[in-house]
Amino acid sequence: MRNQRYGGGLRCASLLAGVFASSVVWAQALQPQPPATASTTTAPMSAAAEGIYAATRPSLLQVRTLVEAAGRQSSIGSGFLVSADGLAITNYHVVSQYVLEPKTYRLEFARPDGTHGALTLLAIDIANDLAVVRLDGTDLPHLEFDPAAVAGDLPRGERVYAMGNPLDLGFTIVEGTYNGLVERSYNERVHFTGAINPGMSGGPGVTAAGKVAGINVAKRLDGELVSFLVPARKAAALLERARKDSPLTLAQARDEIDHQLLAWQDGFYHALEEKGFRATRFGPYQAPESAADWFNCWARTNAEQTPKPRAQMDSSSCNSQSSLFIAEDIESGRSELTHAYVRSVDLNAFQFTAFLSQYYASASMARSWSRKRLTQPECHEDFVAPADAATAPVLRAVWCARAYRDFAGLYDIALTTVTQDRDKEALVSRLALQGVSYENGLSLAKRFMGEITWTK
Amino acid sequence: MDEVNMAAANAAPARVGDGAEFVWLEVLGRHRDVITRQRITSKAITVGRAYDNDIVLDDPHVAAHHLRIARGDDGAWTATDLGSVNGVFVEGDRARRQHIVLDGATTLQLGHTGLRLRRSTQEVAPELPVLRSVPRWPLALVCIGAVLALEWLGLWLGETGEPKLIRYLTPLLSVAAVITVWTTVWGLLSRVFTGQARLGVHLLIISAGVLAFSLYQQITEFGAFALSWTALSSSVYVIGWLIFAAVCFAHLRALGPSRLPLKAGAVLALAALGITMQHLKLSEWRSTYGQAATLQRLQPPSLRVVAAQAQTAFFANDAALQAALDKSRNEEPADGDGPGEMGGDD
Repeated sequence: MRNQRYGGGLRCASLLAGVFASSVVWAQALQPQPPATASTTTAPMSAAAEGIYAATRPSLLQVRTLVEAAGRQSSIGSGFLVSADGLAITNYHVVSQYVLEPKTYRLEFARPDGTHGALTLLAIDIANDLAVVRLDGTDLPHLEFDPAAVAGDLPRGERVYAMGNPLDLGFTIVEGTYNGLVERSYNERVHFTGAINPGMSGGPGVTAAGKVAGINVAKRLDGELVSFLVPARKAAALLERARKDSPLTLAQARDEIDHQLLAWQDGFYHALEEKGFRATRFGPYQAPESAADWFNCWARTNAEQTPKPRAQMDSSSCNSQSSLFIAEDIESGRSELTHAYVRSVDLNAFQFTAFLSQYYASASMARSWSRKRLTQPECHEDFVAPADAATAPVLRAVWCARAYRDFAGLYDIALTTVTQDRDKEALVSRLALQGVSYENGLSLAKRFMGEITWTK
Repeated sequence: MDEVNMAAANAAPARVGDGAEFVWLEVLGRHRDVITRQRITSKAITVGRAYDNDIVLDDPHVAAHHLRIARGDDGAWTATDLGSVNGVFVEGDRARRQHIVLDGATTLQLGHTGLRLRRSTQEVAPELPVLRSVPRWPLALVCIGAVLALEWLGLWLGETGEPKLIRYLTPLLSVAAVITVWTTVWGLLSRVFTGQARLGVHLLIISAGVLAFSLYQQITEFGAFALSWTALSSSVYVIGWLIFAAVCFAHLRALGPSRLPLKAGAVLALAALGITMQHLKLSEWRSTYGQAATLQRLQPPSLRVVAAQAQTAFFANDAALQAALDKSRNEEPADGDGPGEMGGDD
């Protein structure tokens, strides 16, 4: 089972309660939540689903990525037709292997009636994990977007049916509930309460009227039935773009991804800057935490460890939960701010710094490393004097950065600082940015470092 | 061996020739140590494996009648090959000879055996005084004690959890084991090549070497922080290999004072090889796991010696790294398919 991949593997996040944040990301409520109204479905449930399945099924696709040399599928996902002339929507992560390595892979569709053929890529939207593809044909059955969903007016509690081909078992329909946009998330995602499984990625979530409300994209591994859809209006917008613009050639694909990632991070970091930072107190220190509500923050302490720790560490870690899938072995878009206030219980000054070193020495960024996708990190470290010695301590700081090989202008950047004013007390702070432009990284890091101060 | 020499000497009490000068024929073994020494009393002798020779050799690569050595009218001794298969050579020369005029320095080679003619006028090396050197092991023990003290200090300063006795016993055992094995090996080599084990000297050499490395390691750990000079601690292995080479050289010198430049060259080559290998291994490890060399150990802030940089200067340095990253972005990764794979004709 493990050697198969379904739709690039549905993207999943795991989040253990009480443990430092999860690995992935979903949506943000940028608009006011629509008021909940009663469902308009009047027919008995099973009959409704039966009708929807029968009406929708002909428009569904299975999207297969085949290894060119072997002619066998290496990953599968779903999709659906949105025009009579063969335009279809799926997830970017379903076609990502083909987009990034068109010489190794090719794309194929299979329809419920057993016909299959080649797919052409027309457009991608990295930030919303969408792609528009085309298959040859005329008078094809197709789905339409739900106008209320496109307008963002679909009421919470509305029944939505997710469709697709889970685990290559055949086309299925899954009944679930529309729960509005995920709150406190920068990227917009619909919270769908229903079982989405690998292989259903890119399939439609349709209303009782058979109109598309969202596109299946991911689920959480640590919850039950907590799944996510890309809002229909994002797909409608991309479709509009695909119709207007000339199709994306594979030669431009990487540049296009690069361009979209750069634009996304520009938007994200400007929004972050705009939301501002609030000074949070850590013992005698004060350090910045983002005021943006799309950060998911977790506190951690070692106070209750046994045997009793000889230095106490209380930390707070805030994660933007905004990862963007690029390929199986690389993602972008995440940012993390961590502060750990450490004080000695009965360690002497040397032992205390040995304790601190565990956190400092991990600064050179081993996290999600891929030799193929990222360059070796370059680091620079030194003691840094505060702008005003009366309000802030001297810091030991290490800056590490690595570049994305495939995408010019994008870097992973990490800044770690340790206060250098006391023997048995210190604040270890870290800013880790994924897929950021050097300029935005520097600017945020400067601000971050400048706001580490004393409370007195 | 002494007995043989004595016997040979006693067997030939008479003098040859003009009486003022007489000669000895020395038979040298495979390793060029004198096996037997015989005083020559006649004007000509034969050498070979057969028992009718004056000097009988047991070397299977020597002919039954291999060599005749005769004194000419002018007093010079000449060796003549009697028609052997393996011939006669002057040691250090590859040319086979039929006749060889012998002086005190020439060593003949027959099969695997050496022959040397020594005249009574041959000068001998001055008498060596018997060395009554001070014992070296007390100093060696002091060094070992210092190494252990340093190790224990390092462990204690780095102790962040519950102190465990086993952690403090480990260096005691490992230092003792390494030094014992190492000293024994060199003692054996010494015994084989010089006849004396000189364990005290070898023990002192390795103890001093380990102490030097221990000290250097501790100093760099502090120095790297105090001077904000990461390379100091990340290149400890370079000094480690140099100390190792110096230790090997000292051992070799203790084995004998000959060919010192050759020995120095060999240990330097060893050090260069070690440093290169470790450097490659380290950079391979770094590129496999995407790690950069950063300071591994902080120290109390009061140990800082260098001045802190201004924030603007710090970030200016960070900004400068971008060029290096963009350069390595364009280089192909060591494995896998990079951007070059893209091609992108479709």
